[in-house]
Amino acid sequence: MIFVIDDDTTMAECIARSCKTKARIFTNAIEAMAEITNGLMPELIFLDILLDGPDGFTFLNELISYSDTRKIPIVIVSSLDYSGADLSKYGVIGYLSKDTMTPQEIYWYVRKYAK
Amino acid sequence: MDKEVDGILVAAHELKAPLAVLRQLALSFDEMDATGEHIRSEMVRVSERAIKQVNDLAKIRRLEDGLFEMEPVAVRAVCDEVTRELSYLFSHNRRDLFIKYSNRARLVTANRELLYSVVYNFLLNAMHYSGEQTRSELSVQDYADKVKISVRDFGPSLPMDVWREMKRGFIEKPTSIAMRPGSSGLGLYIASRFSRYMNAKVGATRHRDGTSFYVELPVSKQMSFFV
Repeated sequence: MIFVIDDDTTMAECIARSCKTKARIFTNAIEAMAEITNGLMPELIFLDILLDGPDGFTFLNELISYSDTRKIPIVIVSSLDYSGADLSKYGVIGYLSKDTMTPQEIYWYVRKYAK
Repeated sequence: MDKEVDGILVAAHELKAPLAVLRQLALSFDEMDATGEHIRSEMVRVSERAIKQVNDLAKIRRLEDGLFEMEPVAVRAVCDEVTRELSYLFSHNRRDLFIKYSNRARLVTANRELLYSVVYNFLLNAMHYSGEQTRSELSVQDYADKVKISVRDFGPSLPMDVWREMKRGFIEKPTSIAMRPGSSGLGLYIASRFSRYMNAKVGATRHRDGTSFYVELPVSKQMSFFV
């Protein structure tokens, strides 16, 4: 199972479609975290940073606070530029710019980390 | 950061978002032939929303020239039209929209085009801030010689500084991205500018479980057949 967390539903659907496998869409971090707390552990998360309510970094901080969730691979999907930032301590394994990413790049992460 | 530059940055960011979505939708054609029609309709809707936002920004410049005439406007008709336009977006985002009219369908003195944008931006803001499967409420009430259009959301409470600006009746600039992540601060700014032009009182009420944005418009002296 893949999680796509983005408050823009259309963008989230585009990302989910490109995964070509089962992906759950969340429009905020709270609902995604609630699902994880209920035991649904995603294999991979595509995470937007600017979200309603708690932002992407709050979510990342929460994930790295627990031994089981800190191992979940995260791909940041944002229109802000994080390409030069080292976010590996948050479990971030990649960054995709909303301006330039392609469905193939999204699928590349799915093949590598979720199948 | 300079206020004007900050405002331009917010506007640029909000206008870039639909362009990025359009690009992804266009790229999706190669991926999914079967859903081509769905993607095409989505592209049209996203473009229309972006065009509307750009048009509203362009109108702000035209406000200074006083090009928008005030006229008697049927509030309910405007609200009906806006809710019709946004109903798809609400259902697509799994949000409910409730409409409550408790006024006598009186006419107000306003500019129809600007009033449409005010209601549109309030509702879009409410949809954005309401959680999934929660509702937003649009209500129209009589207040002596005024009509109050109010849009209530059940999302997080409005930040104090934005609320203070709304209380003063005017948002000076679009809200900083860093302060309100993923926000529709630009929409509130547009609504605030248009309301001021129409001599309407604009404001916000903070609730424990959300925010109401409202605009109060003077009742038109022209006789209405629906009263």
